Formats: sequence, C-alpha cells, structure tokens
Amino acid sequence: VDTLSEQAAPLAMNELAVESREVNGVWLIAPKGFINAHTARVFESELRRAVDSGRLQIVIGCGELVYIASAGLGAIMGTIEEIRRGGGDLRLAGLSPAVQNVFEILGFTYLYRIFGSEQEAVLSFRAPVGGADS
Amino acid sequence: VSMAKVSAVATGAAPQIRGRQPRVRPARVRLVIPSNTSYLGVVRDVAQRVARASGFDPDTASQVALAVDEAATNAIVHAYGGAEDHEVEVCFKATATGLFVAVIDSGARLDPRRLPEVDLQRYASEGRKGGLGVHLMGRIMDSMAFRRVTGRNVCSLFKRKSGSPEVGG
Repeated sequence: VDTLSEQAAPLAMNELAVESREVNGVWLIAPKGFINAHTARVFESELRRAVDSGRLQIVIGCGELVYIASAGLGAIMGTIEEIRRGGGDLRLAGLSPAVQNVFEILGFTYLYRIFGSEQEAVLSFRAPVGGADS
Repeated sequence: VSMAKVSAVATGAAPQIRGRQPRVRPARVRLVIPSNTSYLGVVRDVAQRVARASGFDPDTASQVALAVDEAATNAIVHAYGGAEDHEVEVCFKATATGLFVAVIDSGARLDPRRLPEVDLQRYASEGRKGGLGVHLMGRIMDSMAFRRVTGRNVCSLFKRKSGSPEVGG
C-alpha cells in the first residue's frame, strides 16, 4: 500500500514522498527525497501511524533518501524508546554514504542497527537475537 | 508570499600587484528567504552550490549545506516561532581559507549554545528531539558562534578548506 500523508504541503510533496508497506510481517517505511524541518512531519506521521497501529517491527528503507536533517533524526529519536519498550525495534537499511555520514556524526550508528539492504533488515527480525549485522 | 532573493558577486582576480601572488577577492552570495520552512530546500541548494563553487568536495559541500539548513531552521522555528511574515538572511563569503556563513534573523533572542549537551542515549530514552541541529552544526563546521547584534541573531559558521591554516570566523 503506497501512502502519502495528506498533510503534505505542495512544496513538501516535491521534496519528500513516504511509502509504507508490509514485508514478511515487518513494516517497511521508505522515505524518498529530502527530509528537513519542512518535510519531517510527513515522515514522522508515517512513523507515528505505524507505532499507533501496533506495528513495532519497523525498517526504514533509506535507499532513495537523499538527505536527512535533524528534524528527521528527531522523529526517529522520538519514537524509538516506545517501539523498544513494546518489544519491537526500528532498523535502518540502504543508507547512502551522505546519509550514513550524518548518522555517524550524531552517533546514531551506535543506537540503531543498520543493514546494507532492506531485505537483510527485514530478515534480521526473523533471526535469533544476536544475529550478525551487516 | 514573498520570493527568495539571491544576489552574488562573482569571484574575480584583483589586479596583480607586482612581485606578489594574485589576490582573489572573496566571493559573496547573499540569500534572503521568507521565514517559512518551505524555503529550506532553497537554502540547502544554494549552500551546496556555493560550497562547491568555493572549492569543497561534494561530500563536504553536502555537510556544509546541512549545517546551514539547521541554522536557518533555528531562525524560522525558534527565533520566529514559526511566524511566516519575517525574513531570514543567509550571507556566504568564500575566501582562500574557507567558507564563512552568517545566518541572520530579527526574531526572539536565541542562543542555542545554552542547550544542554546532547546525550544521545538519554535523548532516546526520553524521546527528546531538540538540540540535535546545533549539535550537528558544531560537529560539521570548524567554528560556530551566536551573537545578538542590534536586535538581530547572527549565527556565524566557518568551514576551513583542507590544507588551510586554522583561522576561525
């Protein structure tokens, strides 16, 4: 199911589209484009919608994420504890070098499990605890 | 809705003084945007292009663009509190040493340095979100300063070119 937040302003829609779908029982959220303070609410509402509907095994597929500013990182920070408290996790996949760099600058690579591909990230939820990261 | 304005002064070699290295005049670019987050993409694009034009590699230029985006975001979201009928000015000055950027607003007094040091683990456990932008700016840029000048907030950023001596803004 492709979804695009109805709240997105025209300029925001040009900059960011967010698609969400279920893959093997894992909720995959794929932001495409640029996440900044203007577009972050589109991403955040998709994340919020997943958590509120009890989908706590989440993969953020970053393959088409070109750019992320602190507002987008804040959206992840704002939900991670709730997700983990509920027994789930939020994992990241397919980061471009530029996006990976931002995560590294902030130390996010220590807080989140990051995988090379969406498939690996999805499968990691089926692996026993302590499975190998990419 | 007002439009973003960009003005630029092209880099040009000043007349050569005999016996000396030709001096390159700093390139200045000035961008004025409405205090509306929908213009942050314009800030990012201009910052990226100015950083590239002043000699930074694409990855560094992207980081500089992110830092400038964060400074403009602070001005719009925090200094103006989201009010959209103001302006944010972004001034770039590219020199042989590096790139100076000033992000200026006329909003409420703002000193993001007063934000507590970001402790990511604690942030995650408390679901907190603020302060990440300033933290990013500080990590990306070689210097960062916040001043209140005649009723305006001035956030000064400097990114040194690799190989240039340490000169801060």
